[in-house]
Amino acid sequence: MPAITVSYRDLCGLLGKRIKLEPLKRSLLMMGIEAEATGDDLRLEVAHNRPDLLSAEGVARALKGFLGIEVGLPFYGLRSSGIVMRVDPSTRAVRPYAVGGVVEGVRLTDAAVAQLMQVQDKLHETLGRNRRRVAIGIHDLDKVRPPFRYTAVAPDGIKFVPLDMSRELTPAQILQEHPKGIEYAHILREFDRYPLIVDSNGDVLSMPPIINGELTRVTEGTNRLFIDVTGTDELAVNQALTILMTGFAERGFKLRSIVVRYPNRRIRVPNLRATRTRLNVRGANETIGLDLKPREAAEIMKRMRFGIVGKKGDNLTLLVPPYRTDVMHEVDLIEDLAVGYGYDKLKPASPRVVTVGERHPLEALSDMVRRALTGLGFMEVMTFTLTNPRTNFELMRAGGTAATIANPVSEEYTILRTWLLPSLMSVLKANRPHPLPQRVFEVGDLVLLDEDAETGARNVRRVAAAVIGDLGNFTYIKAVTEAVLRDLGIAHEIRPLDHPSFLEGRAAEVAADGRCLGMIGELHPEVILNFELGHPVAAFELDLPMG
Amino acid sequence: MDLRSLIDGLGINERKVLLALQQLSGEADIADIEGQTGLEHVAVMRAALNLEQRGLVRIKERRRSMAAITEEGRMYAKDGLPERRMLRALVELAPCTAEDAADRAGLPEEQLQISLGWLSRKGWAVFIKQAGRAMLAPTRAGEEALKEKRSDERLLEVLASGNVAEDELPEDLRLELDILKKRELAFVKEEVWRRLVLTELGERALALGIELVEEVSELTHELLASGRWREVRFRRYDVTAPGPPVYPGRVHPQQRVIDELREILLEMGFVEVKSNLVESEFWNFDALFQAQDHPAREIHDSLSLSRPERTKLPSSALVKRVAAAHERGVAGSTGWGYKFDIGISRRPVLCSQTTAATVRYLASHPKPPVKVLCIDRVYRHERIDYKHLAEFYQCEGIVMDRGLTLRDMLGYLKQIMVKLGFKKIRFMPSYFPYTEPSVQAQVYHEEKREWLEILGAGIFRPELLHPLGIRYPVLAWGIGLSRLIMARLGLEDIRDLFRNDLQWISSFVYTRGTRKESSS
Repeated sequence: MPAITVSYRDLCGLLGKRIKLEPLKRSLLMMGIEAEATGDDLRLEVAHNRPDLLSAEGVARALKGFLGIEVGLPFYGLRSSGIVMRVDPSTRAVRPYAVGGVVEGVRLTDAAVAQLMQVQDKLHETLGRNRRRVAIGIHDLDKVRPPFRYTAVAPDGIKFVPLDMSRELTPAQILQEHPKGIEYAHILREFDRYPLIVDSNGDVLSMPPIINGELTRVTEGTNRLFIDVTGTDELAVNQALTILMTGFAERGFKLRSIVVRYPNRRIRVPNLRATRTRLNVRGANETIGLDLKPREAAEIMKRMRFGIVGKKGDNLTLLVPPYRTDVMHEVDLIEDLAVGYGYDKLKPASPRVVTVGERHPLEALSDMVRRALTGLGFMEVMTFTLTNPRTNFELMRAGGTAATIANPVSEEYTILRTWLLPSLMSVLKANRPHPLPQRVFEVGDLVLLDEDAETGARNVRRVAAAVIGDLGNFTYIKAVTEAVLRDLGIAHEIRPLDHPSFLEGRAAEVAADGRCLGMIGELHPEVILNFELGHPVAAFELDLPMG
Repeated sequence: MDLRSLIDGLGINERKVLLALQQLSGEADIADIEGQTGLEHVAVMRAALNLEQRGLVRIKERRRSMAAITEEGRMYAKDGLPERRMLRALVELAPCTAEDAADRAGLPEEQLQISLGWLSRKGWAVFIKQAGRAMLAPTRAGEEALKEKRSDERLLEVLASGNVAEDELPEDLRLELDILKKRELAFVKEEVWRRLVLTELGERALALGIELVEEVSELTHELLASGRWREVRFRRYDVTAPGPPVYPGRVHPQQRVIDELREILLEMGFVEVKSNLVESEFWNFDALFQAQDHPAREIHDSLSLSRPERTKLPSSALVKRVAAAHERGVAGSTGWGYKFDIGISRRPVLCSQTTAATVRYLASHPKPPVKVLCIDRVYRHERIDYKHLAEFYQCEGIVMDRGLTLRDMLGYLKQIMVKLGFKKIRFMPSYFPYTEPSVQAQVYHEEKREWLEILGAGIFRPELLHPLGIRYPVLAWGIGLSRLIMARLGLEDIRDLFRNDLQWISSFVYTRGTRKESSS
């Protein structure tokens, strides 16, 4: 879950009301926001699907409704700024969408600046997919002269001073020298023209999605903001703009629209119109398990900041605020109704669906094996199925192929194991300080490549056991193997086996119904030494046969 | 320890020695006790030491010079001194040559010389000239000497029957000792003499009565078969003494929590299914209505595979329905509004959520009621540290039936948590990509004094159910099993779940959650 930090005092300021910390935290929790306080800082964890809650302003807006301070659809007196931004066709290949907006009457406190920077970062990370899908620039409007132009230029086609630098650089130099340029260069690398927003004088506002120009730096003296949002996904670009702009409105700033002129159309942004939708209260009651009247439901939905514009029988007509980008279906409204009603007031209903429980046969079999082996004094271990070719093959003097990770995190975990014995050998290695003999076993899964399987591989459940010390001999491990097989009622045959992991003449294959179930043997001295062990080891590994 | 148990703790030899000492008036040499009991010296000494340790006897030690016989002396004690054997021969043959006499006496050459010296020194014989040859003849004293043994010979006899303390020899014999020492027929050595003295405690013990019973340390087949076990006494053990530890074979503690959870769910009527560790992106994500550009599907969140290269997809009708749900929505949804790519669906991925398994089951069992559970490993693109694993257990359950509600969902969650032994439970709104409404359940951890997030749940979205042909509400929940297991086992470092320290596995004390009847 994304986390943000807000100032408790700032939040109360936005609410227009001081609310004690504990009740505030409880209310937040019941809205699905977990809060942790350190001094004046509140760390809030918000849901992935609620980018509108990634700022103190957004959280305050939701809280006002939840606490009944201000309910219903928020009103935005959006007027035109008269500013036009032209989108040049050259941007189509690299980053085709650009929108923007103006904020007036700006008075930036420290807390407001902190939130402004944070929401920009968080939107970049989440909705913006690390700036690839959406990137935001915020500017001091009074430093530049509209109209603006969104265009794409050659990597060395222009020079300007990027933010936090004192000299002019070309876009190509920015990607090589500016910290942000280096960080996000990968987004532009494959293109031969880079996006740029310039004013009527040709001064650079920003080079999306990398960096703004130093010229439009926002300071505490800034009166009017210009916001640009560019990206590859028009819906996401507009969502980000809406979330940013409506957030500013919570501080009492004035919102102004601009006109974006694409080569073949023109749009006015931001679009802050609420979406009209329907909520069937009976259906909602059936989903939540309540018996709310439409009137009650309407009150609750107002507290969740929806507008109510119609009521007919069981149906409510709602207005969804423009920043609620998560609403895809009526169930999303139903959840809001449940949240507004209060999860703490929902009474759990006793389970009433009658079915017959059934253990998976593989787990039933695994349990039998566990009982047999613990009865013989073996300790169960649980190891990772993730491993590497060295442990799985080389150290065992074996070879083969395995399901292979395309994006491993470390060299230690690059494949899925194809047998259990290497895992047990690693366990013995880790337990060298403890007294001998040691008897260990694992009942676990491994993965074998299988072209006939739907996913190209299949799980195999096996049991393996190993003994190190005086008991590490063929006679003992064979007795143990046969005890387990006897316990499972499996008639079997033992046949000599040549296997590189075992001493020649001291390995055997276990077969049942003509099928090979596994093997038994004394580990080859090289294998023992490969795992840095100093005592004889005997082991077996068997498939758990189903049916 | 009281006197009776002191006596009961005595071995058979200790008893014998104590009784012998009583018969020998409470004080005796070790040798006397050996004689009295018939025990070897070593056995008597061992018993004496044990008795002294228990305060029943005292061992008095005295150093004494002991006169002892040499091998040569022992030979002479048996056969007679060489000079006496010569004297006997001389009396019969004299006068004769020394050689003839030695022949008659059966003396070897080297003893002849010795005998001649002593015959002369003792004045028993003299040489006389006869026909120009030196002939030997006994003297009067020599003839007298035949009648009785001299004191040196008597001393030799005494020493032959055992060592004698120098100061215990009669005056006349003691003077001979020097001569025998010079002849290397006797020697004197320092010896420690031990005497046992009954203590007051020993006397009281004897007064209480000591039985002579054989003591054994182990019950054997022989004792049982012969019936002799009735006659012997079994040595009493110090039952409080620490012994070497042994451990039973053990099920891994993590597995025990998993077993406990599985049992709870089976009791609640869930049917268990298993997941594919290698899964297609179709089942792992697409079928769960997770958009193909969702962050959870990115390279830094799940583990993708280069081998196998691709998976097979289910029926194209199902794939089309799922694609439609993503692209433009189904059942009144707006959908995600992007272009669905079937190539992405085919990619294999390490199963990142057990929901893939439960939803597969649901797709093939569309008729209610259905209750399914899955406990299996899932994988994430994580670097391993004290908080993160790349591979861990997840437990998932779904319930499908007519008319299920969010309150039913809470009911199932509550039942599970109560059965796990948690008393304080709370619910709050949450978010999961494929459920709506969603809920998170937290339990209060009494020892840590904090709320633990252990369950995430919700009602499957219509965009998920519709393409699968499911027409009924489905409740779904998942347990972050690692957190539950760590809380149950008292672990702080998540890596401990797979560390496999045998000492820990063998000595871990597992306490099951206390069950409480559900109150609702």
